[in-house]
Amino acid sequence: MIAIHDLVKKYGPFTAVDGVSLDVSAGEIHGFLGPNGAGKTTTIRIVAGLLKPTSGRVMIDGHDLAQAPEAAKASLGFIPDRPFLYEKLTAGEFLRFHGGLYGMDGNGIGRRVGEMLELFELTQWEGELVESFSHGMKQRLVMCAAFLHRPRAVVVDEPMVGLDPRGARLIKQVFRAMSAQGVGILMSTHTLEVAEEMCDRISIIQKGRIIARGTVEELRAMAGSSDEQLTPVFLKLTGGGALQEIDELL
Amino acid sequence: MSSSEQGFPFLLRPALHAARNRARQRERGDLARAAVFGSVGLGVAGALFGVFFWLTWQLLGYAELGDYLVRLGLSWLFLTFLSFLAFSGLVTSLSTFFLSEDLRLLVAAPVRADRLFYSRFSRTVVQASWMVVTFLLPVLLGVGLARCAGALYWAAAALTVAPFVIIPVALGCLMTLVLVNVFPARRARDVLMLMGVLFGVVLVLLLRFLQPERLLRVESLPDITAFFATLQSPVTPLLPSFWAGEVLFTALQGGVDWLHAGALWTTAVALTVLARAAFGRYYFTGWSKAQEARKARFTRLRALERLSALLPVSPAARHLLLKDLKVFLRDTTQWSQLLLLVALMMVYLYNFRVLDLDRIPYMSGVVKNAYAFVNLAMGAFVLSAVAVRFVFPAVSAEGAAFWIVRSSPVSMKAFLWSKFWTGLFPVLGLAEALTLLSNEFLGADPALKWLAGAAIFCMSFALVGLAAGLGAQYPRFQAENVTQVAGSYGGIAYMILAVLFILVETALLAWPASLYMWHRFQALPLSNARMVMMVLSLAAALALSVVTFWLPMRRGVQALEDLGGAPA
Repeated sequence: MIAIHDLVKKYGPFTAVDGVSLDVSAGEIHGFLGPNGAGKTTTIRIVAGLLKPTSGRVMIDGHDLAQAPEAAKASLGFIPDRPFLYEKLTAGEFLRFHGGLYGMDGNGIGRRVGEMLELFELTQWEGELVESFSHGMKQRLVMCAAFLHRPRAVVVDEPMVGLDPRGARLIKQVFRAMSAQGVGILMSTHTLEVAEEMCDRISIIQKGRIIARGTVEELRAMAGSSDEQLTPVFLKLTGGGALQEIDELL
Repeated sequence: MSSSEQGFPFLLRPALHAARNRARQRERGDLARAAVFGSVGLGVAGALFGVFFWLTWQLLGYAELGDYLVRLGLSWLFLTFLSFLAFSGLVTSLSTFFLSEDLRLLVAAPVRADRLFYSRFSRTVVQASWMVVTFLLPVLLGVGLARCAGALYWAAAALTVAPFVIIPVALGCLMTLVLVNVFPARRARDVLMLMGVLFGVVLVLLLRFLQPERLLRVESLPDITAFFATLQSPVTPLLPSFWAGEVLFTALQGGVDWLHAGALWTTAVALTVLARAAFGRYYFTGWSKAQEARKARFTRLRALERLSALLPVSPAARHLLLKDLKVFLRDTTQWSQLLLLVALMMVYLYNFRVLDLDRIPYMSGVVKNAYAFVNLAMGAFVLSAVAVRFVFPAVSAEGAAFWIVRSSPVSMKAFLWSKFWTGLFPVLGLAEALTLLSNEFLGADPALKWLAGAAIFCMSFALVGLAAGLGAQYPRFQAENVTQVAGSYGGIAYMILAVLFILVETALLAWPASLYMWHRFQALPLSNARMVMMVLSLAAALALSVVTFWLPMRRGVQALEDLGGAPA
């Protein structure tokens, strides 16, 4: 569903993403982990079509993002880390607008909007302006929009930021249901428990390069760690062992 | 010493440091902006100084009548500034006391209420009054120098201005406190914004419909008693403007007016103390209300949805248009400016209606036709001013939510063209209405009416295309409001290019048209060579419009497509 080949992004002399390659197959939830500033958000934004790579190729559902951006984007849903929306539209109007951008129009859109709002527990807010929403509600509205046009693949940047436990559980259920329907999901996160619980495979990025990839068990084996939690494995792989010791001392 | 024990000036440090850092930061176009705004500012200050120096100088020759008029003039001047200061204080205090982002930090910190009040109040006074003080300075300088005033006048001026600005701003703060406790702060801002625009509209219409040109006709002048009665009517001894005028006038004569100076200072101090006490009692309740989420009232605009469904365009284009219209119409700060625009249009048309060119019997035909071209240029200039305010910021207005369009399967070309068409139709309607109606009122030649109608059609495409294209090339997604976008480097570049375009275009149209009119009036045939030259000139005007419209749009699309190359 999502295939990234040798992706490079440079800002002047600084290389933010340095030859990243990965693929997310249909129905797979692929975790994208890394310390702050490792290149996760840059990679995600390139896949979403918001940034132009210096080199490399991104394919979405068989469409080259550089050659056929409209076709590639039509198959993709994007959930950014900060839910900036049009504050003066109602939730329902925003979703209809979003659907319109993806070519959805006519009577069908109303039913689909209703389904999405119900799925993300926002039905009673359909007629309210976005400016009166809390951060968590805006985040759920963005997710409604991302799944509205039935994408074949979804890229998510930090899905759990600002969500309460109930919202977080809801999102996990929705992601699992979507993946069961064959949607490929590439998810960047700092919440290792979420990655451990939800992801079929995980790629760890550091200083713009993928340093490890596999299932949680495979990563554990790579790190030579017998810990049950993913956190110590992640710290070992990313060279944060010292941090862990400080953490234990404290 | 901990921050809670620091005096209130400590709380002003972030604003001062931010201002210093902004001044140090260099951005592209800073020099051009500084040069343009600096020259305009200096020009206005110079003109004010010149006018008031000249007036005061002239009045010296009228002995007691002159003195009386200077005294009255000072009271009038301060009265005008008083009303502006009161309104400015109202709007500014809403922002400094209730809507500023840094208030969460300060209210959560162990800062004593009086320190918070005095820091915000001094900030409000400076922000609300700097413009009035800037205008007042050259005026007082002009009056003082014309009267060869002594040190007493300059000291009185300095000591009068301070309490004079504090009084209305303190009243504005108190009024804001009441408003915020009644409405939520953001709703109160909408109410204030609307009040401000209506205030401006009424002022513009009143000034124009008073028909000041009648004063030039001797037969319409009232008798001298009525004249003085009219002048004196709004000057009341209970207003601070009167006190300030009296203090300055006495100082101009070399005396000291302790009574009115005392009234100014005691009122300023008393209002500050009162405001401090009121804020101590009611501020937190109001501030807390401003933080609460609310169900906003807004118009659904269902008619727009039904109308847009009839448009023969793609779903993406329809939904982009619908979104832009809804966002615009639900934002009071946006649509309320249309009221001012309508008022200015009415004044513009009214001017043509009362223009009495038939008083010049032999030349009225020529002057009317020459005016038709001045009118065309003026109409295009109004059009460009509207475009820089409403079309140029269209791309920037997407703000932080631009990711929604950029990550969707809508090309940047389709997006920018949608912005172009959304801007074109209202601007074209406005420009055509202005040009056709004013030419009708003017009584211009029918041929010129047609030419002007066709010309403004082409010029609308060019100026809207230029605005949309340059707006895409120089977007300011982080700008807090559209005024900032219009005043940016790109906005200034747009205005310069627009004025150049209007001048060249008008010249290219006026030359063949005036040649044609001349030959028609003289009943002379046009030579073939001249006709070719005229057609070439008109063709050049058309080509210039096409280039001015097409090129910036192409570059704008390219710039939007290249946005992804910028740092995240």
